[in-house]
Amino acid sequence: MKKLRFSRILQYFALVVLMVYIIAPFLWLVIMSISSSTDLTSKPLHWIPRQLDISSFKELLTMGVNSRGEMFLNALRNSLTTAVTAVTISLLVTVPAAWVFSRYKGRKNLILAAAIFTFMLPPVAYCIPLYKMLVRFNLMDNSLALALVYCTIILPFCVWLIKENIDDIPLELEEAAIIDGAGVWDRLMKVVIPLLLPALGTVALMALIMAWDEYFYAMLFTSSKSAMTLPVVISNLASGRQSNYNLIAAGGVLASAPPVIIGMICQKALVKGLVSGGVKE
Amino acid sequence: MSRKRTGNYFYMIIPMILIMGIIIGWPLVQTVIFSFTNSGLLDTEPASFVGLKNFISAFKNSGFLSSLKVSGLFALVVVTSEVIIGTAVALLLNEPLKGVRLVRAFLILPWAVPTVVNAIMWRLIYNPEYGALNSLLYQLGLIDKYVSWLGSADKALGSIMFADVWKNFSLVAMIVLASLQSLPEQQIEAAKIDGANGWQRFIYITMPYIIPSLQVAMVLRIIEAVKVFDIIYVMTKGGPANKTRSASIFVYQEAFTNSRIGSGSAFAIIVVAFIILLILVYMRALNRQKR
Repeated sequence: MKKLRFSRILQYFALVVLMVYIIAPFLWLVIMSISSSTDLTSKPLHWIPRQLDISSFKELLTMGVNSRGEMFLNALRNSLTTAVTAVTISLLVTVPAAWVFSRYKGRKNLILAAAIFTFMLPPVAYCIPLYKMLVRFNLMDNSLALALVYCTIILPFCVWLIKENIDDIPLELEEAAIIDGAGVWDRLMKVVIPLLLPALGTVALMALIMAWDEYFYAMLFTSSKSAMTLPVVISNLASGRQSNYNLIAAGGVLASAPPVIIGMICQKALVKGLVSGGVKE
Repeated sequence: MSRKRTGNYFYMIIPMILIMGIIIGWPLVQTVIFSFTNSGLLDTEPASFVGLKNFISAFKNSGFLSSLKVSGLFALVVVTSEVIIGTAVALLLNEPLKGVRLVRAFLILPWAVPTVVNAIMWRLIYNPEYGALNSLLYQLGLIDKYVSWLGSADKALGSIMFADVWKNFSLVAMIVLASLQSLPEQQIEAAKIDGANGWQRFIYITMPYIIPSLQVAMVLRIIEAVKVFDIIYVMTKGGPANKTRSASIFVYQEAFTNSRIGSGSAFAIIVVAFIILLILVYMRALNRQKR
């Protein structure tokens, strides 16, 4: 019994260490964002800010001509439109395709293999032709074109997970609809999609987070406030020589807020969606 | 209803195939074509065909070979650490401890922080003058002089790896934890009745049960890790002295900084082959283990 209690103490110790490991780096980012520059450039550091300084948040969230705020708010809008457009396009084309792959085997393996294969490819494998293509059609620095490029990442992911989820919907339900004289679109719209909605929501959320996270293509294909996304603007902010660490940190906190909040609320659904795809194979 | 062939419904796949063809298929073919030419990024006149020259010089390019080594090493260290830490964390969070629900709720935090923010956050922490890490270690008396974590050739890659592990161990932990929570209670109870001790229950019941989901997590992470670009580029741009330059960064620099898309494409093709090779080796090892 004594030995058991000792291992419990060890477990609690590990739990505390784990919590500190998870929280500390991000908590420090939050603290930096509300500290004054003088606190952040003293040696040794002031771990607890001497006074609350939210000027960097104000600066980033205030619109003004050619200001950092204008850059940041535009980037926020661009990130949102690019991500939503990319996910909408991906879902519109993958849902019918995934249904066909799920219900009519045969070609399934080939397409699935192709999707998983593209998943493995690094963006550098096609960024050069994509760059030339965008330059030729005058689509550089364009949110819509960037959204289309994001489909290279999101589409294979969507088709794979959605197909796995349609597999879970009993075929008998559709057969009943066929007996009632339902056509293909009725089967899809009235039987499959309503049952698929929760899973579709999960897939859409994960795809949105992926698009929100994307940096490589955005860095390559955007150059002005009309299309630059948050990751690009933030990394530009941080690569400057000046040392307003609180401003950089505030940008990081603001960019993390949507995925972190969504993640903490929907953690169960997100993990389930991720696991359902692979484990059955 | 019999399972018919795709025949009649093929039109429902067409939009997807069209988009994939335009943004994935055709660019891939073009990369292959470029790799046999000496095209430049902003060339207006057609480039000339140079055969295998780009590929031959790629294998003589020590910078490129060492960038492949960086990517391979990065993937190996990072994925191994994430799998070990992630599994240990999942096992801990599956125990009936007080406060475990709170920690579980925060487990998604590192994964949800965007890659670029993660990179910048750690860059601030590693800052040689005002970074939190230096200040902390100094105040604890562990160092007597501030260290340039990302500026020294022997510490930069390790520091980046540490930052990557912080973000991605949580993905592995969440996936393994989800599978642990679906482990049927009766199996454990039955083993207890049969007299199996804690260690035996772990080896013969828990481990085999979580391995499939652990494999999913590993494949996802290996694929991501060999492709690594963002975190390194934002933290060090491949420096110091190219010690952290990954294969993806190398290709990017060749194509877009040096404007040589012919040889850049050849490098990209070799990187793709390298990634496929790594995945195949991994799959082989898995299959052997299963037998």
